[in-house]
Amino acid sequence: MRTKSLYIMSVIMIALFGSSYGWVADEEKIVVMNPRGIQPEIRKIPMAPRAETLDGRTVYIVDTKYPNTKPFVEALFEALKSKYPKTNWIVREKFAGYMDDDPKLWAEIKEKNAAAIVVLGH
Amino acid sequence: MGVPTVPMITQRFEELVTTTAFKKGIPNLRIVYTPHPITDRPKDLCEKYVAGNDPLAGRPMLGEIYAGLTKKLSEEDSRGGFLKRDPRPRLFEPDTRDNLMEFFHQQGYTDGNAIILPTEQKVAEMLKATSREPDEWVGQMRPSPPHEAWYYTVEMVAVNAVMAGAKPEYFPAILAIAAKGVTSMFSSTSSFARMVVVNGPVVKEMDMNTGIGALSPVNRANSSIGRGWTLISKNLGGSGKPGETYLASQGNNLSYNNLCFPETEDGLPPGWEPLHVQKGFKKSDSVVSIFSGWSINDIAWYSPLPQHEVIRGWLEHFFSFGTSQATLILDPIVAADVASNGFGSKEAFAMFLAKNTGTPGWLYWSEHPRELKQAQSGVEPYAGWLKQGREAVVPVSRYMGRRRNSSSFISSQENNEPTTSIEIVVTGGGTNTFWSGGDFGYVGSSSVDQWR
Repeated sequence: MRTKSLYIMSVIMIALFGSSYGWVADEEKIVVMNPRGIQPEIRKIPMAPRAETLDGRTVYIVDTKYPNTKPFVEALFEALKSKYPKTNWIVREKFAGYMDDDPKLWAEIKEKNAAAIVVLGH
Repeated sequence: MGVPTVPMITQRFEELVTTTAFKKGIPNLRIVYTPHPITDRPKDLCEKYVAGNDPLAGRPMLGEIYAGLTKKLSEEDSRGGFLKRDPRPRLFEPDTRDNLMEFFHQQGYTDGNAIILPTEQKVAEMLKATSREPDEWVGQMRPSPPHEAWYYTVEMVAVNAVMAGAKPEYFPAILAIAAKGVTSMFSSTSSFARMVVVNGPVVKEMDMNTGIGALSPVNRANSSIGRGWTLISKNLGGSGKPGETYLASQGNNLSYNNLCFPETEDGLPPGWEPLHVQKGFKKSDSVVSIFSGWSINDIAWYSPLPQHEVIRGWLEHFFSFGTSQATLILDPIVAADVASNGFGSKEAFAMFLAKNTGTPGWLYWSEHPRELKQAQSGVEPYAGWLKQGREAVVPVSRYMGRRRNSSSFISSQENNEPTTSIEIVVTGGGTNTFWSGGDFGYVGSSSVDQWR
């Protein structure tokens, strides 16, 4: 009888110890390292001042030439010309592909003190 | 630009454009949205679009444009300065393994699979495999050219190498990949994939698999080096956030491992140089070479034709997003068969393929509208080609005359020697006459030895 009681107590102790050990292992806190790289700082660019009206001004509609978007650019041009006839609307294709920069065109727009709409795909 | 500007974007890219505007320093950029897509839409539908609302603002599109160009700026919009970014702690607050694993998943630090948590101890073990200092800069990487670049050190690469399950002895190869600064998760609506081929003594040192299943998940080095590149691209290159820094419409399953495998250099036929030697390195150098493409086919075609003719036929009709470049991955027994038919080098075989493959008619004429008009006007040789039928193969190779990113090939081009965009790599266990072909093009190579 005494042997049987000792055996049961041993089983209970082992079970308690085991579960306790497992609980400690799961709840152990560790420190890990950040996998992220360094993001660059962002210099804020002030937006260009707006005029109260576009009457008498020129606005470039810059077509970045995303494939097969010409009908949209043309529809936009016609609609703007019709709704705001006192503004000079110009459609201009950007140099090279839609991912390429076109500093010459940007300089031209700035030199003419114009505004711009840049139409992108997709 | 310095002038009032309104960009017009389709509504599908709201997240991309607003986060990009922030990163470019104009957080309140006045954007007007259109329905998506505007490409390939008929005229009457485009007219309906512009007469309708900006789908996100819920107000007339033309009015939104006008307001964007004329509405007075707030004081904040007129001011310069710097924008606040999230701080980057080197270590995270202590937590349980389960919670940290969940945190890494939630933050997008993983590839969706379980990772090895990067404890300081594990990262220190990884760092022992290089002579470089932990705080030494390795490079910069960005999701695609318009995106901002992130910067990273040797220690940061080590953190990601641990997460990928790499052994320390793989670390110089992983550093060499990171140093190229090429993301494996290129942010484009087309679903790019990358490939990395390892050459030189480091292949045996890392116990990479050059035999049966070289392209399969059966080897720790092949698997974890390729996976490491994905984690680096996400965590150090800032890519992988759908809609913001990753736009692949369907995505690409190859991106889990980036087709990382070694070339079977001892299985190359006589006269066939290993890839890294072709690219100007010594045979004793250890090198990683990077390729970019979209897709790959695995092929064995049992026919009376010799292998080089089967490959030529496949290449002629192969069509994918990248139609003007190809990479062949030949099993050593296929390479031996090709060599036995008189091709004494990879270059000779590649040139044979480039010179003897035309372009399927439907593809050629759809890509060359000017030539089609000339053909229809009777101008030769186009008229003669078209006379064979719209579907007939046009005798113009898609794989000739393109520059390879290797100094030797640039000088070849300067000498007006013909070049080809076809690359050939050999790997596999020789259990059957299989080969793989895809639209991958060579990007560049990087020395592993400089990172030891």
